[in-house]
Amino acid sequence: MAVPEVKKLAQALSQEYNKPNPDLAKCGQYLSQLKIALIELQYLTHDDKHNNIEELTLARDVLEIGAQWSVRTKDIPSFERYMAQLQTYYNDHPNLPASPLKYNLIGLNLLCLLSQNRISDFHTALETIDPEQLHSNPAIQHPIKLEQSLMEGSYNRVWSSRSEVPSKEYLFFIDILMDTIRNEIASCSEKAYTSLPLADAGTLLFFTNMADILNFAQERNWKVNPAEQKAYFHSDADEKINIPSEQIIKQTMFYARDMDRIV
Amino acid sequence: MSDAPRRSTRLNKGQEEEAKKTKHADHDVEMEDTTDATKDGDKPEEKVLGVKELEAIAIADIKQHFVLFTKSAKTHEARFAVRALRSVSSLRKRLTAAVLARTIASSYTKDEEERQRLLGYLGPEALSSITSEDEATVTKVDTPEVGVYLHLLVMIYLLDQGQIEKGIELSNVTVKTVQELNRRSLDQLAAKVYFYYARFYELAGRLAEIRPTLLNAQRTATLRRDDDTQSTLINLLLRNYFHYNLYDQADKLVSKTTFPENATNNQLARYMYYLGRIKAIQLEYTESHQSLLQAVRKAPQNTVTAGFQQEANKLLIIVQLLMGEIPERSLFRQPVLRKALVPYFQITQAVRVGDLTKFQETLATHAATFNTDKNYTLILRLRHNVIKTGIRMISLSYSRISLRDVCLKLHLDSEEDAEYIVAKSIRDGVIDATIDHEKGFMRSKENVDIYSTNEPQHAFHQRIGFCLKLHNDSVKAMRFPLKVTPNQDAAELEAARDQEKTLVQEIAEADEDMDEDHDEL
Repeated sequence: MAVPEVKKLAQALSQEYNKPNPDLAKCGQYLSQLKIALIELQYLTHDDKHNNIEELTLARDVLEIGAQWSVRTKDIPSFERYMAQLQTYYNDHPNLPASPLKYNLIGLNLLCLLSQNRISDFHTALETIDPEQLHSNPAIQHPIKLEQSLMEGSYNRVWSSRSEVPSKEYLFFIDILMDTIRNEIASCSEKAYTSLPLADAGTLLFFTNMADILNFAQERNWKVNPAEQKAYFHSDADEKINIPSEQIIKQTMFYARDMDRIV
Repeated sequence: MSDAPRRSTRLNKGQEEEAKKTKHADHDVEMEDTTDATKDGDKPEEKVLGVKELEAIAIADIKQHFVLFTKSAKTHEARFAVRALRSVSSLRKRLTAAVLARTIASSYTKDEEERQRLLGYLGPEALSSITSEDEATVTKVDTPEVGVYLHLLVMIYLLDQGQIEKGIELSNVTVKTVQELNRRSLDQLAAKVYFYYARFYELAGRLAEIRPTLLNAQRTATLRRDDDTQSTLINLLLRNYFHYNLYDQADKLVSKTTFPENATNNQLARYMYYLGRIKAIQLEYTESHQSLLQAVRKAPQNTVTAGFQQEANKLLIIVQLLMGEIPERSLFRQPVLRKALVPYFQITQAVRVGDLTKFQETLATHAATFNTDKNYTLILRLRHNVIKTGIRMISLSYSRISLRDVCLKLHLDSEEDAEYIVAKSIRDGVIDATIDHEKGFMRSKENVDIYSTNEPQHAFHQRIGFCLKLHNDSVKAMRFPLKVTPNQDAAELEAARDQEKTLVQEIAEADEDMDEDHDEL
C-alpha cells in the first residue's frame, strides 16, 4: 500500500474514532489493517533512509489512536504494546511536530503502571519526562499526586481524585486502582484495629451497602459478630516465636569451618 | 601532590559544575607554571628550569613510556602499560603543543601519513618548534601501541585546549585504528581511548550518536575478556543512558552484563554510583545504599575527586533519608562537601524533625539545584518520610492521642486522612500502636524488649560474616615471593625481586596519586 492510501485509511479511522459513539469493533479492524500497511512502510525500522517526517507523523497518530482504543476496549496488554511503540516517536525524533496527545498518553501509561502496582516502573517512566512538564502538565500531575497520596496513605484523596481526571480514559485505570486501594485499606485496618463496627468499615472502604461489606469481610476472612455489628480481626500477637534452631546450627557450622581455616 | 592546595581553593568554591567550567581556563595557567607540577614534585631544583628544559623532561618521560609500551607488547605483561598510563595524569599538566610536536617529529619519518595527521591537529605554531635535532634522531615507531599512545596524548591535549570538533575527528580515527589492530597488548590503551572518545562527544552534546559504537565495542571486549576496556565501556554506556534519563535501558544493560571483577577501583566506584542511582529510582533503597556506600568508599579521598564525592554523597543522603535513616552530622562538615551539601542539609533537617511545611519550603527554594542534580523526583518521594517521622515522634511522645490532634500536628487535610495514614504506618511497621475507631484516638503499645527477639543474633551474624569475608579476601589478595628453583640464575632472581619491589612501591604511590579522570566525571 502506498502512502496516500494509508493516509486515507488513517483518516477513516480517526473519523470513526472521534464520533460521539464510535464503533469500537470497526476501529479495531481499521487498526489491524493499518498496522500491516505501516509495517510495509517499515515504520518500525528507523534508519536515516526512513526519516520522512510525514510517514512518521502518520504512524505516530495511528499508534496514538490505537493506544486510546485499547483503553476503551479495556485491553491492557495491547495498550502497553502501543505505548512501547510510541516511546521511540516521543523520545528519539526531536524534529517531529509535538503531538497534542503526547502527555495525555504518558499520563495514562503512568496510571496504568500505578494500577498494576508496578511502582518501580512508574518511577523509571517518570524520570524520562521533561522536568518542566512534570510540574505543570495536569495530565502528568494527576498520576504523580495519586502516587504520593497512595504512598502516604491518604486514601481519601485518591478516592476524591476520581472527579478530577484530565480525560475520561483515566477512569478505566482509576477503577482498577480502587480495587487495589480497597485491599490496601483492608490490610491496614486488620493491623491497626482490633475490632471495627461494620458501618464504619463500610465508610472506610467506600462501600455504600451492607451486602457488599459482608461479602468483602468474608473474602478477607474477618470474623463478623452479627449481634454487635462488628468485625473482629485476628491478631498475631499470640503467635509463638520459635527458636530458629536449624538456622543457628547452620550459622555455627559456618563459623566453625571458617575459624578452622584461619587457625 | 604538590599542586593540591591550589586545586582545593578552586574546588572549595563548591559546585562540580563550577569546577568543570573553570577547568579549561585554569589549565592554561597550569601549563605556564608547570614548575611545581613536574614529576612527583620532589625535585625542587627544577623550579629554576626554563621552558626548554621542561620540554626536554616531558619528552624524555614520553619516550620512557614508549619503552614501557614496547616492553609490555613484547613480554605480554600488561603491568608495564598500566605503569605508563598511570603517569599520564601527571604528564597531562605538562603537555604543550611543542612537546607533542617534537615527540611526533622524532618518532615518525617525515613522509609518514600519521605524522602529518597528528601534526595537523596541533596547529602551525607547533610545527615551528620542531628542531632539526628532533628530525635527525628519528627512532622509528615499530609497535602500534606507541602510535596509539601518541594519538591518545594528542587527544588529551585537544581536550584541554577545548578543541572539541578536532578531538571528535581524531578520536574517530583512533577508535577505528584500535579496532582494526585488534591486539591484546592494546587493551589498556583502548580503554583510555574510548573514554576520551566519549568525553569529546559528550562535550559536543552528541552522545546519542556513539551508543552503537560503544555497544559493539563492549560486546567485543566482553568476548575477549578485556577487563579494562569492558569496565570503561560499561560505565560510558551507563553515563550515556543517564544523560538522556533512559534508566530503563541502563537497568537492562546492568542486568545483562557482569562488571569485571578485576576492574580498577576508579571504574568500580563509578559503576557503583550508577548502580546506586538506578536502584534508588526503582525504590530498592537497601541495595542502592550499599552500592553508594561502596562508591563513596572506593573513590579516592582527595580534592581532585571532589565532584564525584559530592555527587555520590548527595545521592547517598537522599537514599538514607528514604530508608528512614538520618545521615551523620559530620558528613556535612567535611570541607570538600560542605558547600555543595547545604540544600541537602536543610532537607535532612526538615525530615529529621518531621516538619512538612519546612520541607515544602526547602524544596521550593532549592528546586533548581535539585533539578540540575537530577535528584528532584527522588526528593519528592521524601514527603511521606517526613510524615512518617512525624507520626513516629508523636507515637513516642504520647501514649494516647486523638486523631484530630494528629491531624493538626502534621498539617493534614482531614481527620479521615489522618486515620488512614496512621493505619498505614502501623501496617508498614513504622509505629507500634492501635487505633480506637469509635473514640477516635490512637494508642501506642509498650516498647518491645529487642533482646527478647532474634534481632541481636541476626546483627551479630552479619558482623561475623563480614569479618570472615574480609579475612578470606585478604588471604586471596596476598602475593608471595617467587619460587626459588635450583637451576635459576642468581642475577635473574635478583632482577625479578627488584621488579617486584618497584611494582609494590608504585602501587602504593598510585593509591595516593589519583587518576585524574575522576575530576571530569
